[in-house]
Amino acid sequence: MARHNLEKQLNILEYALSSLWRHRLKSLSVLLVFGAVIFLLASFQMVTQALSDKAKQVLVHTPEITLQKMSAGRQEAIPLAYGDKLAGIFGIRRVVPRIWGYYFDEVRLANYTVMGLEVAEMPEGARLDTTLAKGTMPRPGDDAQGWAVIGYSITNALDLAGRDTFSLFRPDLSLKPFVVRGEFSRDTDILTNDLIVMNLADARDLFAIPAGLVTDLCVYVANPTEIETIAKKISETLPGVRVLTRPQIQKTYQVVFGWRSGFGSICLLSALAAFVILAWDKASGLSPEERREIAILKILGWETSDILAVRFWESVIVSGLACLVGMTAAYIHVVYYAASLFRPVLMGWSVLRPNLHLLPRLAAGDILLILAFTVLPYLAATVIPAWRSATVPADSALGG
Amino acid sequence: MLIELSQVSKIYNQGRANEVRALTGIDLTVEQGSMVCLKGPSGSGKSTLLAIIGCIFPPTSGKAAIAERQLARLPDRFLTLHRRETIGFIFQRFNILPELTVLENITLPLLPLGVAPKERRQRAHELLERFGISHRALFPAGQISGGELQRVAIARALINNQPIILADEPTAHLDTTLSREFMAIMLQLKAAGKTIVIASHDPLVFEHPAIDRTVTIQDGRIHVP
Ligand SMILES: Nc1ncnc2c1ncn2[C@@H]1O[C@H](COP(=O)(O)OP(=O)(O)O)[C@@H](O)[C@H]1O
Ligand SMILES: [Mg+2]
Repeated sequence: MARHNLEKQLNILEYALSSLWRHRLKSLSVLLVFGAVIFLLASFQMVTQALSDKAKQVLVHTPEITLQKMSAGRQEAIPLAYGDKLAGIFGIRRVVPRIWGYYFDEVRLANYTVMGLEVAEMPEGARLDTTLAKGTMPRPGDDAQGWAVIGYSITNALDLAGRDTFSLFRPDLSLKPFVVRGEFSRDTDILTNDLIVMNLADARDLFAIPAGLVTDLCVYVANPTEIETIAKKISETLPGVRVLTRPQIQKTYQVVFGWRSGFGSICLLSALAAFVILAWDKASGLSPEERREIAILKILGWETSDILAVRFWESVIVSGLACLVGMTAAYIHVVYYAASLFRPVLMGWSVLRPNLHLLPRLAAGDILLILAFTVLPYLAATVIPAWRSATVPADSALGG
Repeated sequence: MLIELSQVSKIYNQGRANEVRALTGIDLTVEQGSMVCLKGPSGSGKSTLLAIIGCIFPPTSGKAAIAERQLARLPDRFLTLHRRETIGFIFQRFNILPELTVLENITLPLLPLGVAPKERRQRAHELLERFGISHRALFPAGQISGGELQRVAIARALINNQPIILADEPTAHLDTTLSREFMAIMLQLKAAGKTIVIASHDPLVFEHPAIDRTVTIQDGRIHVP
C-alpha cells in the first residue's frame, strides 16, 4: 500500500511537471517574479546580517570611551598628560594611549591602518589576541619592540607569504624594519583586513610623533552603565576634547545602515508581491480549459485530492526553483559583487570601509525566515484556490 | 447481472428552485458481454442514466448495482474508486486533452492508480498497436486526425481493462465512415467480453446488428411501445 502510494505520488509529480512544461510561459514568468522577490529579500538579509556581524566585531574592539583632541575642527595629537587629569574621575578603570594613523604605501599605492598600542596595558577583553589566525600578541609585561601583527590584505600587499620581515618608511624616508609575529584571522576582516598593529613606541617612531603625544586615549570604565556619566565628566574636565562613546558609535552604525526599516520594507514588498501573485492566480484561476481538464480527470477516476496534489507539486516545484535561483543569485551578488545593487542604501558603510568584503553566514534560521515570507504565501495562494476544482462536477465532461 | 437498476430516479438540485426531474422509475438490467443502446431525443435523460451506471453519482432514489456494488449512499470517494476499476468512458467529442501526447492521454486513468511508468507505457503500446496508431504515440493529441482521435478515446477506455464501456453519443460528430468504424470496434470489444452501453439517437448506432437491445428513453422514463 505504501509502495502504491509512493508510486501514485510520483505519477502525480510527473503530471505536475508536464503540466508546468505545457504552461511554460506562465510558469517561467511566475518563476522570474518569484525568484526576483527571493533574490531581493535574501540579498538584503545576507547584507544586513553580514554587516551587523561586522559591526558587532568592530564594537567589541572599540574602547568604551575614546578621547581625541580637536583643534579648528580637526583632530590633532593629544598629550599623554591629559590622561593624568582624569585620575580624579571615579569609575575609570584604565586609560590606554593609542596611536592610530594611516600609512600610505607609495610603491603599492595602498593605504594601511597602523595602530600602535601598549598591548600589555590593555584590559582583558579589549585585546585583539582572540582573533589571531597565527602567532601571538605580547603578554602583559612583555614590552618587546619591532614586531607587527598584520591583516591578510597586508600579507598580500607586502607579499609576505615566504618571509616574515618588512620595512616601512619614516617621514624622513629612512626605513624602519618589522618582524611579523602574528596574522589576524579573516573572520574579523572588517576590522583587521588592512591593519598593522605594533608597539606604541614603534608607531611613535614610524610616524615621528613627539614623546608625550598620541593620537587618542582609550578610556575603559569599570561599569558599562556609567559610560555616559563618565563621558560627561571627561568633557567637563577636558574642554576641547572630543569624547566618543561606544553607544554613540553603535547608534551611528545603526543610522548608517538603516537596516531595520529597510528589512521591514522589503518584507512588506515581498508580502505585496505574494499577494499580487495570489490575486493574479485567482483571476486567471479556473479557465474553461482548466475546468474541462479537471472534469475529464475526475471522470477518469482522479480524486479531488489527486488534483489538489498536482497543484501542490506545481507550486512546490516553482517555489523551490525560485528559492534556489533567488538565493544563489543573492549569494553571488553579495559575496562576489559586494551587494552592488544596494550600494545607494549602504553608502554610509562603503564610505566607512571602501573595500568591503562581505561573507554572509547562511544560517538555517534566516533561510527559514525567507521561506516563511515567500513560499508559504505562495503555496497558500496557489493551492487554496485549487479547492475550487472540488466544485467541478465530473459529469460536466459528459455530453449534454 | 453486471448492471442492475430498479426504480431509479434522479432529481438534479433537489429542493431548490432549479430542481429538474431527469429520470423516473428506471428498471434496467444488462448482462455481461451484451451491447445495449439507450435511444431518445435530446434532454430525455440518456446522459444522466449513463452517469449513474458510470458511478459518477448515485441515484436520488431506487437501487443501482454496478458490478455487484450498490451505489446508493456510497460516499463520493468510493464511487470514484469503484468507477476507475469498472468503467471505461467514451465521450461525445472524445474529451481528449489536446496538449498532452497520445500516450499521456491514454494513460491518464493509470496515474492515480499508482501504475509505474514502464507498465503504463507497455499497456498503452499494446492498445496503440491493436488500433494501428503506434506511430502517433508521442504526437500531441491535438494534431492527429479524427479517426485516430476516436481510437485514442477507445484505447483510453480500455487501459485499465475495465469490464464496462459506456459511450455517450460517440458518433454525434463523426461522418458515416468513422461511425461505422466505431461500431466495428465496439463489435470487437463485445466479442472480447466487454459489456457496452451506448447512448445515441444515431440510426447508424441503434440499427447496428451488434446491438443486442435498444432501450428508448422519453422524458426520463423507459418508453415501452
Ligand atoms: N447537471 C445538471 N443540472 C441540472 N439539470 C441537468 C443537469 N444535467 C442534465 N440536466 C437536465 O436533465 C435532463 C436530462 O438531461 P440529459 O441526461 O443530459 O439528457 P440527454 O443526454 O438525453 O440529452 C435535461 O432536462 C437536462 O436539462
Ligand atoms: Mg446527453
